[in-house]
Amino acid sequence: MAVIGNGDAANNQSCVFEVLSAVDSDTGGARIGRLAVQGRKELNTPDFLAVSSRGVVPHLTPDVLASHTHFSGVHMALEDYIEKTGNGKKQPPILSCGGNISPLHAFTAMPTHIMSLLTPRRTPAVSAPVANSKTSIALFTSTGFQPLTNADYIEAIRTLKPDIAIALGDIPYGVKTGVKRTARMGDRTEQWLSELLGSKIAEQAVFASILPIDFNRQAEYIDYLLDEAASDIAGLAFYDSNLITEIPAATSISNLPRLSLDEPSSPHHILRQISLGMDIFTVPFIGFATDGGIALTFRFPQPFPDDFDQVVEGTTAASLGIDMWMPSHAISLLPFAKDCACYACTFHHRAYVQHLLSAKEMLGWILLQIHNHHTMSCFFASIRESIAKGIFDEDCIAFAKAYESELPEKSGQGPRARGYHFKTEGPGESKKNKAAWGDLGSEEKAAVAYSALVPDDGAHELENKGFAEVAE
Amino acid sequence: MASTTPMPSALTFELVARCSTTKARAAVLTLPHGPVNLPIFMPVATQASLKGLTPQQLEETTCRLCLNNTYHLGLKPGQEVLDKVGGAHKLQGWNHNILTDSGGFQMVSLLKLANITEEGVRFLSPHDGTPMLLTPEVNLLISTETATHSISLQNSIGSDIIMQLDDVLVTTSPDAVRMKEAMERSVRWLDRCIAAHANPTTQNLYCIIQGGLDLDLRRECCKQMVARGTPGIAIGGLSGGEAKADYCRVVNTCTSLLPEMKPRYVMGIGYPEDLVVSVALGADQFDCVWPSRTARFGNAVTRYGVLNMRHARYANDFGPVEEGCGCVCCRKGEGALNITRAFVHHVAAKETVGAHLLTIHNIWYQLNLMREAREAIIEDVYPAFLKKFFADLYAGDKTKFPDWAVEALNTVGVNLME
Repeated sequence: MAVIGNGDAANNQSCVFEVLSAVDSDTGGARIGRLAVQGRKELNTPDFLAVSSRGVVPHLTPDVLASHTHFSGVHMALEDYIEKTGNGKKQPPILSCGGNISPLHAFTAMPTHIMSLLTPRRTPAVSAPVANSKTSIALFTSTGFQPLTNADYIEAIRTLKPDIAIALGDIPYGVKTGVKRTARMGDRTEQWLSELLGSKIAEQAVFASILPIDFNRQAEYIDYLLDEAASDIAGLAFYDSNLITEIPAATSISNLPRLSLDEPSSPHHILRQISLGMDIFTVPFIGFATDGGIALTFRFPQPFPDDFDQVVEGTTAASLGIDMWMPSHAISLLPFAKDCACYACTFHHRAYVQHLLSAKEMLGWILLQIHNHHTMSCFFASIRESIAKGIFDEDCIAFAKAYESELPEKSGQGPRARGYHFKTEGPGESKKNKAAWGDLGSEEKAAVAYSALVPDDGAHELENKGFAEVAE
Repeated sequence: MASTTPMPSALTFELVARCSTTKARAAVLTLPHGPVNLPIFMPVATQASLKGLTPQQLEETTCRLCLNNTYHLGLKPGQEVLDKVGGAHKLQGWNHNILTDSGGFQMVSLLKLANITEEGVRFLSPHDGTPMLLTPEVNLLISTETATHSISLQNSIGSDIIMQLDDVLVTTSPDAVRMKEAMERSVRWLDRCIAAHANPTTQNLYCIIQGGLDLDLRRECCKQMVARGTPGIAIGGLSGGEAKADYCRVVNTCTSLLPEMKPRYVMGIGYPEDLVVSVALGADQFDCVWPSRTARFGNAVTRYGVLNMRHARYANDFGPVEEGCGCVCCRKGEGALNITRAFVHHVAAKETVGAHLLTIHNIWYQLNLMREAREAIIEDVYPAFLKKFFADLYAGDKTKFPDWAVEALNTVGVNLME
């Protein structure tokens, strides 16, 4: 097994990536590796980083994260920490928080073993109404859009000391780019990266952005990476995973870790990206599934022969997840997934989670979030094993055959979906969740305090439930 | 006064110490799912979940007795599910004690269409408008474990302490006739509950003393209910907007009439100052949604008062939520999380984690307050404890001490102003 270290290059020693599998360097392909960052748990790749929101993995308090999750790192967006500032510009609190190792960790009470990845924007990011400029990009903070200059971003990296920082890139979130714009994107991104590398922040690992545009349109920028920046960068961040195949093979950047910010929508997409040579993922669909009340239950490469709910009705494929809103789980004492060792499956059962969702108790989403992250950690562990054994391609075929192509549709309501960081679809957008309370019937006389107090069932169902009897 | 016809009981009450000045007591209450120290604050997990905490996190706050609500569990998930799942402990993965409130209070306070008759609470099904009836027996049935004729053991909630269905009236109601009727009806409903109670040897039924702010009615109710010999006794109908001085008079009057060797539970009480005063007046058990609810509004309960973490002044405050607190968020040393006020401010009202963290802190605060009160009672320094408590809360400014607390504590021999 060839070990090709990259950490001995001119860049720092704080972040070292080794490719642990010999692969055909002409074609790329799935590979296993190890990313070691000083003081943090090693990241064996392929693996994922959890997506954080305002410094927390949604629903999970730091103690729960420390005891009940297995991921090695989190994705953090600078836009979560800085608010729109007026004329009397106030320093964002996180920048004055101090902390002897990393203020980013100290401020968010992130367990020390967790690796931090700092990016300018959330994933997924809300598209900005204003375009990026020559010196800045548009951020969406909790108090509105504001520009972030590259100089400010570099200073934030210097202060926050993330384990890995993604260089500012001219990424046009959700906006179609014209020919003129794409020509500028590469120039700007190159300029911003060279400024960051030129600022010589000691021991700072930097990942360069690969733009989500046609490879030829950023060819000059890629040449700059290959010829000048390669030894100073610690990795590549792809906003479009397909571009991996266009990166010239066996070059100074082939052995850099590759991070996907391409927002895979299913495990099948993850597998495809891994087969192209992707190493590290952010997986927003974990959070979407959790909020939708879906317990992820897929395993790699295929379900156990005696897995629960294996096959979706009317098909031969197993479902990627279970909709925990379904009343059919109301008396089920099964865990989400057979033999799952996560906290939720060890100590609780479907009946409880179904009850919690239907009663809109926050614990329902907490348990799902724990389980879903656990499922994903197991998924990646199996993938690494498969690559190590050299049977990844066959396993992918088996997975594609065994499972449905998409996650199940959610049927229930999510947790309260309100807040600046949810994508809006413009004015007149309908509410995500239906109003939790309202008047009884059409009369206004009897508004009740909150929905849990209004039985969903009619009088006769309530009587059958033993709650009360129908009066004569 | 001793109970005349003791019911079977599934608890033991061991009096550990009595304050030599006030009526405060320290005791050990042993319930089917283990012992708890009295006085105690019981967090409220209305729908079988303490908002936003895993049962493991609730356990870490040192909680060993929490509340569920029969009304809510009766609606969701319903008795049938509870039976099939095997009771509330199994439903929520909680191996410690549960007390189920009857739901009478919710029926009346939350459902405007409810009507109380001798048979029970009449209400229109909010779903389809059909008239329905919730009786003391049905209510009890939901919260007890009942063996049926079927082969399988049919379990419902199976709580360690169950509350009778009572006729609750707002204490401030001026209708003396109705108040008397509610008190007397609560006694009659208690009899129906006792008659319907299938598991007196495994589950403890508490009566609920009613009578509003009328001390004579309360005395009469105490007399009649104590005679029924339930394992524990609750003082109900309070915490409904009455003046604090009136509240204290009712508690003080009732505790003087209650048997010493039974636990006394004042329902719906949770502000720290109410807790320490009620303990001085001889009460042992308390519950309130306030500490967890106020956490969701961004409020941290501390010995120096309630601090709203959403205020801009905490944006750059990198200290713990409360210096010296032993909760998971605040404690120092090995495995400390080092949660700061600035971080709570950062997530408060924007990520639910902010509420979860403050809920952990607030529940710990309440449980720890009762733990410290208990230690003070055992060391027989409860009056000094009370003085320090109020001095901390009002930054040593005695002019700010609430009159009702000063007055109530005077009646049990503590002068806060000296």
